[in-house]
Amino acid sequence: MAFTSWEFLLLTAGAAVVYYLLHRHTQWPVLLAASLIFYAAGGLGAMVWLFAIAAVTWGGGLVLQRMNDARKALPKGDKAGQQRIKRRKKAVVAVTAVLCFGLVYVMKYWNTTVALFPAAVERVLPRWDFLMPLGLSFFTFQSVGYVIDVYRSKYAAQRNPAKYLLFVSFFPQMVQGPIGRYDALAPQLLAQRSVDWRMVDRGIQLAMWGYFKKMVIADRAAVVVNTVIGENCPYGGAVIFVGILAYSVQLYCDFSGGIDITRGVAQIFGIDMAENFLRPIFATSLADYWRRWHVSLGHWMRDYLFYPLSLSKPFAKLGKWGRRHLGGLPGKILATSAATFVVYLVIGIWHGVNFRYFVYGIWNGSLITISMLMEHRFLAWKQALHINDKSRGYHFFTITRTWLIVLFGRYIGSSPRLLVALSLMATTILHPVPSQLWDGTLLQLGITGTDWAIIGLGTAVVLAVETFQERGGKVRETLERQNGFVQWLAIAVPLIVILLLGVFRAGYISSSFIYGQY
Amino acid sequence: MQPKRWFLMFCATAAALVLALMAFNYVTDPFGAFGDRFFQWFSYDETNNPRVAKVSYLQQHHDQYDSYVIGCSSSSSLPTEALNELYDASFYNMIMYGADMADCEKIANYLLDNYQVDNLVLNIEISDGAAYNTESDPLTYGLHYLEDPDLSAFTYYTRYLLANPRYGYAKLQSLETDTILPQSFDVFDEETGTYDKRVRDVEPIGNLETYLAAYSDFTTLDQSGTVGLYQTENCMKSVAAIRDACAAKGVNFVVVTAPIYGAYFNKYQPGSVENFYTQLAQVTPYWDFSCSSLSWEPRYFYDATHFRNCVGEMMVARMAGDDSVWMPDDFGVYVTADNVSDHLAGSLTAQPMDAAENSAQVPILMYHHIVEEDDGSGSVTVDQFRAQMDALLDAGYTTVSLQELADYVNRGGDLPEKPVAITFDDGYASNYELAYPILRERNMKATIFVIGVSVGKDTYKDTDYTMTPHFSYEQAAEMAASGLISIQSHTYDMHQWAPYESGDQVRENILPLAGESETDYVAALTEDFTTSRDLLEAATGEPVTALAFPTGLYTTLTSAVLRDLGVEVTLSTNPGINTVVRGLPQSLCAMLRIGVDRETTVDALLASLQP
Repeated sequence: MAFTSWEFLLLTAGAAVVYYLLHRHTQWPVLLAASLIFYAAGGLGAMVWLFAIAAVTWGGGLVLQRMNDARKALPKGDKAGQQRIKRRKKAVVAVTAVLCFGLVYVMKYWNTTVALFPAAVERVLPRWDFLMPLGLSFFTFQSVGYVIDVYRSKYAAQRNPAKYLLFVSFFPQMVQGPIGRYDALAPQLLAQRSVDWRMVDRGIQLAMWGYFKKMVIADRAAVVVNTVIGENCPYGGAVIFVGILAYSVQLYCDFSGGIDITRGVAQIFGIDMAENFLRPIFATSLADYWRRWHVSLGHWMRDYLFYPLSLSKPFAKLGKWGRRHLGGLPGKILATSAATFVVYLVIGIWHGVNFRYFVYGIWNGSLITISMLMEHRFLAWKQALHINDKSRGYHFFTITRTWLIVLFGRYIGSSPRLLVALSLMATTILHPVPSQLWDGTLLQLGITGTDWAIIGLGTAVVLAVETFQERGGKVRETLERQNGFVQWLAIAVPLIVILLLGVFRAGYISSSFIYGQY
Repeated sequence: MQPKRWFLMFCATAAALVLALMAFNYVTDPFGAFGDRFFQWFSYDETNNPRVAKVSYLQQHHDQYDSYVIGCSSSSSLPTEALNELYDASFYNMIMYGADMADCEKIANYLLDNYQVDNLVLNIEISDGAAYNTESDPLTYGLHYLEDPDLSAFTYYTRYLLANPRYGYAKLQSLETDTILPQSFDVFDEETGTYDKRVRDVEPIGNLETYLAAYSDFTTLDQSGTVGLYQTENCMKSVAAIRDACAAKGVNFVVVTAPIYGAYFNKYQPGSVENFYTQLAQVTPYWDFSCSSLSWEPRYFYDATHFRNCVGEMMVARMAGDDSVWMPDDFGVYVTADNVSDHLAGSLTAQPMDAAENSAQVPILMYHHIVEEDDGSGSVTVDQFRAQMDALLDAGYTTVSLQELADYVNRGGDLPEKPVAITFDDGYASNYELAYPILRERNMKATIFVIGVSVGKDTYKDTDYTMTPHFSYEQAAEMAASGLISIQSHTYDMHQWAPYESGDQVRENILPLAGESETDYVAALTEDFTTSRDLLEAATGEPVTALAFPTGLYTTLTSAVLRDLGVEVTLSTNPGINTVVRGLPQSLCAMLRIGVDRETTVDALLASLQP
């Protein structure tokens, strides 16, 4: 059930009505029912995996909770007992994580792994031909995070399996996250509330904004990307660069638009979800970019991978070794930087099993390490050149610099293979053929001039709104202060724009496509 | 504004917009899902979704039909008219692009349950063994809920009421650019349900190389031999279900397998094709046209899986046992469980037809006025003409009439070994006075294209302007009576001479006038040609079935209208040698002609006749 389908809108509206009608009773089962309907619409087979992950992590949580309780019950000073329980807890977390991530691995990568073996071995190995369940990695990360939190005694485990299943399967976030935290999300999901009209309105507004970004801008830009970026690209460098820009626009508008729809729908039910994008357009460094892009994944990696790694014994040893043998700054940052590399490699591989994602991880890790190493030198340069790093010009420079770095990474992200990415980069620099920008080539990429104008205008609107927000402006509050007619326009215009200009998920297939030549 | 008020305003606006969308989709009805009440433009709707729009069409028109063809798009060229004659019935062709046997079974059941059905012709294509009940875009490939027990009316109506408004908008836009001939947005013929192939049916076709260059589909086929026919069993189950449903209702059930371009079979796994047809023969006897020597001639196909309308005529002629239509001997066999293995051994290894057997190279010479002495106008002199005729005879050429070419192509007639056709444009008196005696002496045939309005005149119509004299109807009759000269049409009055015309619009050729509507043009062309034909036929008693385009210009619409009026041969002034192909009327369209003038020497003439 796609966000852009009428079924999804109906499900949301229907669930919301029932939800608020029951405001004197227990409401959360409504959300659970809606979530299961949503998931079942994507195929009953996929539900098995959802239940499996939920069951394993719920069980893991319960076992850990019992161990936590047992540890508390131990007499003070029973160090051996403490250690014993700690070891067992670690084992439980390890087993849960291996089971969960093992499933993700098998689902996503098993057949690719099998293909790496010689043909003789490949034939013997079984294939894993189940359909990838929707949102698998998102709800797996979310559930494993819960298990680790219980391990850390951050909060008590959920005993009610149905309540826990709702936490794992809450329908707006099933497609692409954000990866929620149990302590932030579960109380909201399980709360009892009567309708808060302001919250409902905000939710609708946010969802409309998301639909606008996704359907009007991203799905159009996608056509350009699919035409330009790929094997044997026939275009010059300038057009390729336009394709990469279109990819950036598509990626951001699609992902952040989807998250806005998710958060908007959740708000309709009175549930506030963490933001996942903090206007990455304005990032002033690559590290800052990763703090603003896909925030929930970044935080997850920070809390459950980076910190544990940095604080682990091997990394502590590595840090000591670095300080002793390398000395100075490099020695100081060795352990941190190694952990950073691991995190970006994991993020890279999480995107897909392909050598280019490996390189993508290295690329991000290296740049961030280099910037840490060079930080004081940059400062010295700035002073020598009398650059005022508070000035607007410098700020703009850092943003542009970050974008260039990010765009470079986009070549890798958008291409099917690393070699293709490299050849596209080479063409961009060596054979720009700028004349293709005005000789009509842009109109041969699958969309019309009107579509280009819509992408351009739409992107300008997004930039304007985000600039306003970056300066502390509140769009919806500002709108609320306008008179009734303006407020009505702010409803009608976006709705009409989405309805008329939105590229519907089912797509618009012009009949002439079917009858290309027959 | 209070938040609750905002919410109500939002709901009202959204509801109004959704209602507006539904109203828009209902009115424009680009898929014909609601019966297309306002436009009744089913050829458009069927192009968007034939499965839905054809049912809507039948709901309104089913009383006009009692028999149906069902199958995928390769069923399109089964001619309903010929089928009507064969079965004394009234056929509607239910073809749907991309249909598989799961679709066909549902459609057959729908027809049998709801309408009077006397005959059901089911076309089965080899690809039906590869795809069964596949999922695709529901808007364009989904069935009507009346046909599909698996589809609820609610889903159906919300699907089309809430469809992307761009479909409806595109329909309104297309309405403005609609033409008489089909375009990519209205490819169906509403009344018969078939694809409207009028454009492809008047495309001039000559030699094979040119055809393959124009339609690369034939040379870029997947010939990997890896595609499996894994759905054969499901496909046959559906065929059996349709067979049984027909038997239960006493409906005449006929199965055909449409011709497919030979190389297309190579994509399937070895053995799977034989298995498919063998299993089919176990389920039901069928008329097999799928693979024969004809399959290896690309010019009989629009593309690899769509045979031409002219081939459809051959199919029904074979089923009717009608020998008057030309077709290869091995084309069309009634296959049963008993003869299937013998038949397949022959058909799947069929060899291409012999090019010399089924096609001929025919040069056509184009003359105009003949003069006694060189007058500097460039006209051929009588001595020059005589020498050229003698040279043709000496070189072993035999003159043929255009009627003979048409008989060769359409009716299995024969041609002499080195055929050549001689033509004269305009109908000058010199043709009668100077050329005709030379031809008669040598027993040579020629065709003269007469401008109707100029017959018997030496002044330009309705004026005193003198012009080269034209022969009279009596003289035309005399020449025709010799059996050597055929008098054909050069239009009645669509070859006007601008300086002598007084009106502001002059028809110098057969093209539409600037700003002339298609309807007006068709009316004018029809009126002009029928006048020309009636007068000529009245004078000579010979049928007029050929027309030379004045100045050689024409449009696709011109050709289509003339074809409807019974014109078998049209001639351009483009140079070259024609390839006429048996069974392919398109090889008689806009035929090439070699212009002859004062400068043309005998040697040059003979050289130009060499292919």
